[in-house]
Amino acid sequence: MLDRFFYREKGLFLQSLHPLSALMYIAVLLVLTLMFNHPLYLLGLLAVTVTAIRAVDGIDAWKTFFKVSLGAVFVIIIVNAVTVRAGETVIWHGPYIPVFGKLDVSLEAVCYGADMGLRLLDIMSIFCLYNFIIHPDRVMDLLSRFSSKSALVLSLASRMYPAMVSRLDSIREVQAARGVDFNAGTLKERMGKYAVLIKILLLTSLEDSLETAEAMYARAFGSGRRSHYVRDVWRLRDSVCLTASLLALGAATYGWAKGLGTFSFYPRLAYLIDGYTGIVFFFTVIFLLSFPLMLSWGWHNCPFIKSKI
Amino acid sequence: MPLYQIKNLTYFYPDSQRPALKDVNMNIEEGEFLLIAGGSGSGKSSLARVLAGLIPGFYGGRIGGSVFFRGKDIKQLDQRSIAREVGMVFQDSEKQLIMTSVEAEIAFGLENLGLPRQEMARRIAEVMSFLGLAELRQEFTVKLSGGQKQKLALAAVLAMQPSVLILDEPTSQLDPVAAEDFFNLVKRLNEDIGMTVILIEQRLERCFHLADRVVIMEGGRIKYEGTPEQVARRAAHCENPFIPPVARFFAKTGFNTIPVTVKEGRRMLRENFSPPSRDFYLKHPVVVREEEPILRMDRVWFAYPDGREALQDINLQFFAGELVAVLGANGAGKSTLLKTMAGLLKPGRGRIMLMGREPGSSISRGAWNSCVGYLSQNPSDYLFHDTVEEELLYTLKNFGISPNGAVDEIMDKLSLQDFRHVNPRDLSCGERQKVALASVMVTRPKLLLLDEPTRGLDYRQKIEMGKVLVEYCRQGASVVLTTHDMEFAAEYASRVIMMFCGRVICDGPVHQVLSESIFYSTQIGRMCRGFADGVLTPEEALAVLKPASSGKRERK
Repeated sequence: MLDRFFYREKGLFLQSLHPLSALMYIAVLLVLTLMFNHPLYLLGLLAVTVTAIRAVDGIDAWKTFFKVSLGAVFVIIIVNAVTVRAGETVIWHGPYIPVFGKLDVSLEAVCYGADMGLRLLDIMSIFCLYNFIIHPDRVMDLLSRFSSKSALVLSLASRMYPAMVSRLDSIREVQAARGVDFNAGTLKERMGKYAVLIKILLLTSLEDSLETAEAMYARAFGSGRRSHYVRDVWRLRDSVCLTASLLALGAATYGWAKGLGTFSFYPRLAYLIDGYTGIVFFFTVIFLLSFPLMLSWGWHNCPFIKSKI
Repeated sequence: MPLYQIKNLTYFYPDSQRPALKDVNMNIEEGEFLLIAGGSGSGKSSLARVLAGLIPGFYGGRIGGSVFFRGKDIKQLDQRSIAREVGMVFQDSEKQLIMTSVEAEIAFGLENLGLPRQEMARRIAEVMSFLGLAELRQEFTVKLSGGQKQKLALAAVLAMQPSVLILDEPTSQLDPVAAEDFFNLVKRLNEDIGMTVILIEQRLERCFHLADRVVIMEGGRIKYEGTPEQVARRAAHCENPFIPPVARFFAKTGFNTIPVTVKEGRRMLRENFSPPSRDFYLKHPVVVREEEPILRMDRVWFAYPDGREALQDINLQFFAGELVAVLGANGAGKSTLLKTMAGLLKPGRGRIMLMGREPGSSISRGAWNSCVGYLSQNPSDYLFHDTVEEELLYTLKNFGISPNGAVDEIMDKLSLQDFRHVNPRDLSCGERQKVALASVMVTRPKLLLLDEPTRGLDYRQKIEMGKVLVEYCRQGASVVLTTHDMEFAAEYASRVIMMFCGRVICDGPVHQVLSESIFYSTQIGRMCRGFADGVLTPEEALAVLKPASSGKRERK
């Protein structure tokens, strides 16, 4: 089942955060991933994200994403290694290839490719975390304060998607029972068989949408100005997490302006650890980003902390 | 002053030359429980839409006559005012749920009404507690069971605190227990809160007795109107099928007092009839079992990827000539059983043999599919060609079978000749079901698997389908169908299988299984329980039960 890749209510701490503080945490992780290119920092961000995913019991689903992403990481490393000539430490002298020239692979190009792959893993993991901790309706609630109709359209679309996937499965089963073999035939023939699936899906969806619209009309949709139902409460935990996220962003921006968190790959690799300031800066950012995780641990294991936040 | 006053109401849908409603005149009182019954196309849903303000507001079309709500012309009322007063729950809960989660779904209507936050929070909490939905507050609507979805649809409407609740076949997709639960809830709303209830229903055995007044429609007009007893008496004498089986039985035996509940029927039965002799004989269809079953399942298990075991240790055999009804609650594994038999799902463990051969090894996938016909719950999933004829030819072409008159034969059998060149998407729900069935039966499969084939069919269409299936079995095929319609199962099935949580808990002749069950039984079966066990239908009761000579006081 695809369920495990999407939000499921498990009553966990990170899921109980207000959507604003949860979204801000996710946004800060994403911004920092794009801001830094230092492999240690990217590894640190990955560690924080994976620990958060573990805290919401999503590690099994993440592993699937991870395995799929590893293929992409591998491709990035290969492509970067064979196309970039900026590195000085050549580790493999390849043959001459027309158009590309001589195929020399440098250590710097391989490391840069690996660093980009690591960033891709970070982004993928943050996307996973978003899926696991934020209920889509709660994001819609938040967005609807600014544009209620757009939020409603998004909500309808997010509800329709799993429904359409499930419907497509049913139609495929029906076609298979009527003698259609989706694995047989040429590519053109197979495309024709899939086109039938899409045709039925669209026809049925069109018919269904009329009934949905009727149900919406019967419940006064479009009858005038809508109000907005807020079901999220702001707790101390949200203030703490939001503050930690903003401090992490502030510290990261300050450090980045001072040249910290960046790594020079070309023409030769720079030192991985560039002094005491860099270490302090790195641990400060990671500590601040780990704050929600510490609270999560406390919430699950310490009744006192749970009662206070 | 009546709540609704309808005077000479006539209505045409856009582009239609035939009126959906014609000269309808009626009043509806505040706090009344009104049941509207009738066949497909009789105008009952159109009438409900008029009362909910959807006609002409949403549908357009031409409307004549007048409808007054609390003394005001409904055409003069704006959409929001009507929605505040009149709530409508539709037949298909899936299509009326709009939001992703339960709480947001309930809030949707309240937001549309522009209510303040505090008021919304109070109403949502109240309705969730009343309907027992509090634990599902954060749940995704797609994950809910059929019964929960219908309850949520009701909650979403109730939160708007309407004074009128209109229900358009709300239990058509629910199992008997969930349907009973739903109607009890509606009755409570009517009795405790004083809500006016207008219920449209085909399965009258479930709700006839709940109504204060019954209206039976035909051809867009009101045919009968009165208390359930009055309508039952008049309809029974005119051979109108839209009365519950208990009432039909007593009307046909010439009783003046027509009971509409099982309790009343049981009392009258014991007072006026003598128990049949123990060795009473019922003409059940006798199935001659061949030695080799058409399909055999040995220790079959199936689990979905999320680990849910939908089938557990299934051992079944299906023989030629059998019409088997598979019963059970929503989620019991009935549809999974059919899909596994159709070869659409591969069992995790166990063996399925078709006519003595296993798929893959001695019988190819294509050959399996041509021997087994499968009709899913949604007939629209079959229809994409421009004409009904093309739809049938498509299946034959896929299996490489030459038509050889098969199309004409199946069209005659299912009375589809008039629709031969019609686009199947332009047909009614019942007609679509027939076209989908025809597209499966056209290859003459030895084993026909039907997933809830009576859904959306009216009484007459069910009779027609039942006869076709029985005849098909007589010709040497086996039909296995899932259904929540006990009356249909009792009438046409020869064998019943009951499932619970993925297991077969009961398998036997229809009369044995249904007469032993309390909830999965017919209305006549419940009435005759302990008096004439094994009697399930009005026709059987008429054949077996004879009025006692001393018990004629309630007869004419």
